[in-house]
Amino acid sequence: MRTRGAAPDLVTDYAQDLRLVPNGWTAAGLLLLAAIFVTGPNLFSGFWVVVLGYAGVATIGAVGLNLLTGFTGQVSLGHAFFLGIGAYAAVQFGMNWGLPLFLWLPLCGVMGAIAGAVIGPFALRLRGQYLVIVTLGLVFLGEHVFKEWRSLTGGGTGTAVRPPLTLGPLDFSGMELFGTAYNRQQMLFWLIWAVAAIGILGAKNIVRTRPGRAMQAVRDRDLAAEVIGISLTRYKVGAFAISSAYGAVAGALYGALQGFVSPTEWNLFLAIQYVAMIIIGGMGTVFGAVLGALMLTALPRLIEDVSRRVDMPFVSGDKGGPEGFVTIFSVQRAMFGALIVGFLLFEPRGLAAIWLRFKAYLKTWPFSY
Amino acid sequence: MTKLLQLTIDGTALGVGYALVALGFVVIYRATGVINFSQGGFVLLGAYLTYNFHVTWGLNFWVSVALAVVIGALVGVLIEALILRRMVGQPVFAVIILTIGLLFVMEQSVSSIWGFDNLNMSDPWGIGTSRLGDFLFGHKQVAAMVVSALMLTAFFAYFKYSVMGVSMRAVALDQEAALAQGISARKVFAVSWAIAGAVAAMAGMLQGAGPASVELGISFVALRAFPAMILGGLDSPGGAVVGGIVIGVVQNFTAGYQPEIAPWLGNNFHLVMPYVVMVIILMVKPYGLFGTPEVHRA
Amino acid sequence: MQTKRWRRTLVASMLAMALVASACGDDGETDTTTTDTTTDGTDGGSEPATAPGFDGETIRLGVITPTTGPVAVIGNPLTAGNQVRVDAINAAGGIAGKYPIELAVEDSAYDAPTAVQKYTSLKEDVVLFAQLLGTPIVSALLGELETDNIVAQPASLDSFWVREDNLIPVGGPYQIQAVNAMDWWVNQEGNADSVICFAGQDDPYGEAGFEGMEYAAEQMGFEIAADVRFAATDTAAEAHAPNVQRLAGAGCEFVFLTGTPSNSGALLGASAGGGFTPTWVGQSPTWVNALAESPLAPYLAAYYHVMTDGAEWGDASIPGMAQMLDDIAAHRPDQTPDIYFVFGYAAMMAVEQVLEEAVALGDLGRDGIANAMSSIETMEFGDLFSDYGWGPAADRVPPRVSRVFGIDPEAPEAGYFTPLTEPFASDVATAYEF
Repeated sequence: MRTRGAAPDLVTDYAQDLRLVPNGWTAAGLLLLAAIFVTGPNLFSGFWVVVLGYAGVATIGAVGLNLLTGFTGQVSLGHAFFLGIGAYAAVQFGMNWGLPLFLWLPLCGVMGAIAGAVIGPFALRLRGQYLVIVTLGLVFLGEHVFKEWRSLTGGGTGTAVRPPLTLGPLDFSGMELFGTAYNRQQMLFWLIWAVAAIGILGAKNIVRTRPGRAMQAVRDRDLAAEVIGISLTRYKVGAFAISSAYGAVAGALYGALQGFVSPTEWNLFLAIQYVAMIIIGGMGTVFGAVLGALMLTALPRLIEDVSRRVDMPFVSGDKGGPEGFVTIFSVQRAMFGALIVGFLLFEPRGLAAIWLRFKAYLKTWPFSY
Repeated sequence: MTKLLQLTIDGTALGVGYALVALGFVVIYRATGVINFSQGGFVLLGAYLTYNFHVTWGLNFWVSVALAVVIGALVGVLIEALILRRMVGQPVFAVIILTIGLLFVMEQSVSSIWGFDNLNMSDPWGIGTSRLGDFLFGHKQVAAMVVSALMLTAFFAYFKYSVMGVSMRAVALDQEAALAQGISARKVFAVSWAIAGAVAAMAGMLQGAGPASVELGISFVALRAFPAMILGGLDSPGGAVVGGIVIGVVQNFTAGYQPEIAPWLGNNFHLVMPYVVMVIILMVKPYGLFGTPEVHRA
Repeated sequence: MQTKRWRRTLVASMLAMALVASACGDDGETDTTTTDTTTDGTDGGSEPATAPGFDGETIRLGVITPTTGPVAVIGNPLTAGNQVRVDAINAAGGIAGKYPIELAVEDSAYDAPTAVQKYTSLKEDVVLFAQLLGTPIVSALLGELETDNIVAQPASLDSFWVREDNLIPVGGPYQIQAVNAMDWWVNQEGNADSVICFAGQDDPYGEAGFEGMEYAAEQMGFEIAADVRFAATDTAAEAHAPNVQRLAGAGCEFVFLTGTPSNSGALLGASAGGGFTPTWVGQSPTWVNALAESPLAPYLAAYYHVMTDGAEWGDASIPGMAQMLDDIAAHRPDQTPDIYFVFGYAAMMAVEQVLEEAVALGDLGRDGIANAMSSIETMEFGDLFSDYGWGPAADRVPPRVSRVFGIDPEAPEAGYFTPLTEPFASDVATAYEF
């Protein structure tokens, strides 16, 4: 029980420790986020609505990958493959078979889970760096398969992704609500973040209950975990399956948002981006995955946006025109690399750790030392 | 038969390139237990620096190559000292990602300085070819094999007979015992990175030789050296060489025969064949052909 | 207690600042929720009302082109061509003498998904797209252009664009180049019995070239002995060794090439290194001047040809070329001869005609541009490119003219090209149905 007025950060039993909404602060924060969610398309310009849409997709994928890598310790550079599977499942189930939204989206997740369950057994045999490299190989093999499976993916040309987007009275490809017309990107902003919220909730629940503890045990000392009776097969393969399901849903929504996908998108760089998201955000916390996804999606776009309005020194292609020897693309990539290096050197526990430290500072102020 | 032999020759030429890069990976792994994804960046540096010294500054070709190799080694040492040293004690996975971050920074630095166009290295081999009976030898290929062979021999001689080489092996075997013997692990790490940088730069130069071949895609050769490294065993330099050549030959054979025998596998399957081989090897022999099995205790 | 209130305000203000920071790209504009963007005010002859990309004074046009990556060797000069024409127009006051043009250039890196993202971020701010470079990119964006009712100039010569209402194609399509090339080889040069092969990119651009080949094969009665595809990103000669093996293995004596400079150069390099010497004819985008300055030059001079539409650089007897040379002298004096520059310049001439018509009709909004498109009868380029019969897409008559150029490494002032034929439109090309 929580008594009002008493210091809300003292925890007196397990149940309280595991609460999703431990105190008034968190509740207020969540309400604020909900308000932003509802008014999003009105609040942000068209450009930022799209960016946040991509950020939502990244959040779903990152949360999934975090379950696999951050919580179960199975390092995977193969996440791009599962995103691709999701996108093409959307094409097949949504476009080609015409299934409605509430069917094809979960089905994409199921396809992802199946793929993950197939790859999972590799993790039983290989560990650490070897697993990293095998998942690397998976990305390349996946790219090849996607490129050659022309009937589904359009081969080098790519394919449009236009599955049906109606859910009951809501038409996510664009409709009028309360007098204002919303286009596809704005409607999808809502859909994506709604799905993301469900995903985050699901992940939090997995993490704070028995499976979550088992996964963390596998991460910390898998031999010991096996000794005390945690089935490695179940949790390693299961972690792959779940994270791939998340990835597939993310990929499907990505395809719907962009409207077009090409096999070259599901490449090593995409996989590295997701890994970077969870590292920069903070491995091993769901919140960290969200932060990392938001940051790494928004930052390149922010650089682009700024470059359109400001003449940055040394940079070509910005407002100042083509003089400059560094392109915006270079700046984005270099910043990405520098962020990874910087975080790993100076704050390996990521943004989540920074946030926690900040909160702790505030809580203990003026005794923060 | 001619085709088979020609494919083998071409495959070996391709494979020694992989062998050089794989060797760099293996040397670093043996010493520090880290897989260095930024080898691709060193490969790029080797090619672009050679271009810069030889074409832009007009130095003699071989002098340019030597300079590029030396600078590659120095950059390796710098990275190790400034960045990798701070990652001691971090999970291995984090270090891998760090090296990936370094790779991006290196790639962008190269493209910022030298631009995005394909450049001509003006190497002495160009597109010259010679015929020996039914077989066609590209001058560049022959040069690649000779140079790689020399470099590899030099490396192995150093590794086996010099004091530092023995120290490296000692550190790889048991770091604490080596330290107890007075071997400076720091020096060993530095030398490992220097060697890796040097061989990668040389490999980069070989990749960049040829018409309009100095371009940013060269760094991807490092990605294809992974199967070579895994095949040979992550901690076996000899394995890296064997692995590199095997992968090169396999890739070339696939390129030559797959379109006829198994066209359903698709276009350019030879580019993923190395990974297929890698996955198969990992299932059968998880530590590669010559690698030492790791022992895990709870 | 006081500390609690402090904390509350502090954290609340931090959250608010985070909000503001994330929406900071907003510029205070929050009115982009409607998709209804057309405006009235179409009394013919009056000032056009404001519209997306037009604030009453300046006309903003979008350009999505590779400024980085292997295809930047096409994208950069092409955009320069656009820009020089824009500078010349602005020097005379702008469209209709009143409305200067501003180009918003975004990098696609020749990657369709990137281009789609850039398109989405630009589309609300431009009147139309003055350049979308790359057949795969235009393919990817066609659906979006239709949904959003936006017009674009495709810097690509696929025949698909001829019948698209939302596109402003210029120049003889790739399919026509292929057909004319085959006419040259088979009919004019009399090589009906040779082994004829195709090598092309594994994407819509390669498909376009192949389509032309197939049509020619059907009409002229030859077979395509080998069909090799490579990825657009195969820019290293090693990557093409298997391709050369297949072509040489099939005994090809003639190869038609549909690639871009980096992969074409690599394929040709691998062929030279492998001793494979067929007669090559490449589509116009295979060429870049750097190839003639590389060690490949002798091989190219002996075996390589380029099909293109368009006037010879420097031929001032052609009015369009004379105008272009004047504009270059005024706005970009150190421009070297470059076929992509010519294309960009001509493409902007077409866009200019659309904009002039739209201003004359008094509407620069989405519908106004669409109306302007259907009202133009012929797109004219002063013979820089052949005239294009215009009107609604279903009625358009694209030019069927191409010319075969050989390579002359000693002629940089002519862009290293030496004409082997006069501009011609073969019978087979004339019969090609779009």
